[in-house]
Amino acid sequence: MTPKANGIWVIILTFLMAFLLAIVPFPEWAMHYRPQWVALVLIYWMIALPYRVGMGTAWVVGAFVDILEGSMLGLNALAFTLIAYLVLNVHHRLRMFSYLQQSALILVMVGLSLILVHWIKVGTEQSDSVGMLFLLSAVSSAFVWPWLFVLLRQLRRGFDVQ
Amino acid sequence: MFADRQFDYMDRVRFTVAYLTTPIYWVADIPARTSAWMDDVFVSHRDLIEENAELRQQLLFAQRELQLLAGLASENNRLRELQAAAEGIRGEVETAEIINVSNDPGSRRVLINKGMHDGVREGLAVLDAQGLMGQVVEALPFTSWVMLITDSRHGTPVQVNRNGERAIARGQRGQVPGLVLEFVPDTADIQVGDLLVSSGLGQRFPKDYPVAEVTEVVHDPGQAFAIISARPMAELDRTRLVMLVEPEQPELLGPPTAAAFFADQADEDAQGDKTENTQTDSSDMAETTVEGSDVTTTETVSEAANSETMTAGQEATQEVSQ
Repeated sequence: MTPKANGIWVIILTFLMAFLLAIVPFPEWAMHYRPQWVALVLIYWMIALPYRVGMGTAWVVGAFVDILEGSMLGLNALAFTLIAYLVLNVHHRLRMFSYLQQSALILVMVGLSLILVHWIKVGTEQSDSVGMLFLLSAVSSAFVWPWLFVLLRQLRRGFDVQ
Repeated sequence: MFADRQFDYMDRVRFTVAYLTTPIYWVADIPARTSAWMDDVFVSHRDLIEENAELRQQLLFAQRELQLLAGLASENNRLRELQAAAEGIRGEVETAEIINVSNDPGSRRVLINKGMHDGVREGLAVLDAQGLMGQVVEALPFTSWVMLITDSRHGTPVQVNRNGERAIARGQRGQVPGLVLEFVPDTADIQVGDLLVSSGLGQRFPKDYPVAEVTEVVHDPGQAFAIISARPMAELDRTRLVMLVEPEQPELLGPPTAAAFFADQADEDAQGDKTENTQTDSSDMAETTVEGSDVTTTETVSEAANSETMTAGQEATQEVSQ
């Protein structure tokens, strides 16, 4: 069995689902509550398979999100690489944590990347500053994390992705 | 990021990768299309008959107005010919559907299902049945991003339909989608309820399409300009079908100077925004020469009478010399 080629399509499929969820139209009032699906999926795979999904993957996925959203090329790539760096530093500890502790860390990391994206967007006048509401997305991300974690773990074990 | 902002070649990278993103948008749009399909399929016979009758009636009304319009258009043409003015060309119209909305709350952009392979390019005006919606800011292979007029980075050149007062309508910052008229002096005659139409001054948008209705006019003595807000006429958050309209090409007026002649030649080789600008500039110059002197300009006309634009110039000189 070659572990390198094992279940790469599972990883790609989960990312595709995350892309889909990231652009499905939301009603106006719920715009701020959209979890950062792509970032969450990325974090999961980095915790589970840090030797396969790393900062390079994070950059590529981020650049893809940029084109998907029509934002500046490299904006999300930078943010995701930042997340990747933070996660890869602590992934051993993250595996040991309870769901609640993991969620707290997710809140911090997604929040940091959101702030970075927001700064750059406002700084280059790509977007309006509409208060701190954009951070709600980090809260909702932290909220959905335990369920997503369980779901993706089932997937990983079911398809024996290593 | 820096490269994308500063250089053009990154646009091609975006363009290429966008081939991969299109299917994702296609899949994301499935629920909306399914519900539209359900609406079409599960509709009663009687409803259809009623709708059909209603549409017939609307068509009748529209055709009556069209007849009136034809009369007005010909009258307008004659008047314009009298003045030897260029007639605005109505551009070609194509329909498209909105398939997604930008998920960034700070910007107002939508994605439409026509892209570069359907002939969409940057700068096309986007309208719905009620009025102006925005313009194409990024054309991808099969989809395009449209910036709405309510985006705070978008300014629309407008004029008041009642008296021709000109202004720039900028998208409002914050949550409420609306427009503000910028730098309008306190003395300007703009009232609540005035219809703002596109003035066509930026040569981006076609002229005389309804843009917004003035909802509030505040004269604050402490501020240099009047504070005027307006509500867009287009149903920005409800319509799904939109129209794409080519901006009107500026037509040359008056006999060409040497500069205009060469600009025309250059234009045939490579059509671009810059040549367009020089064209209009030189045409302005040409116009002034017509009014100034007769003899020299008629000579230039005879020199290059084969070009289309020159005939308009000849007419103009004839008018002046008469």
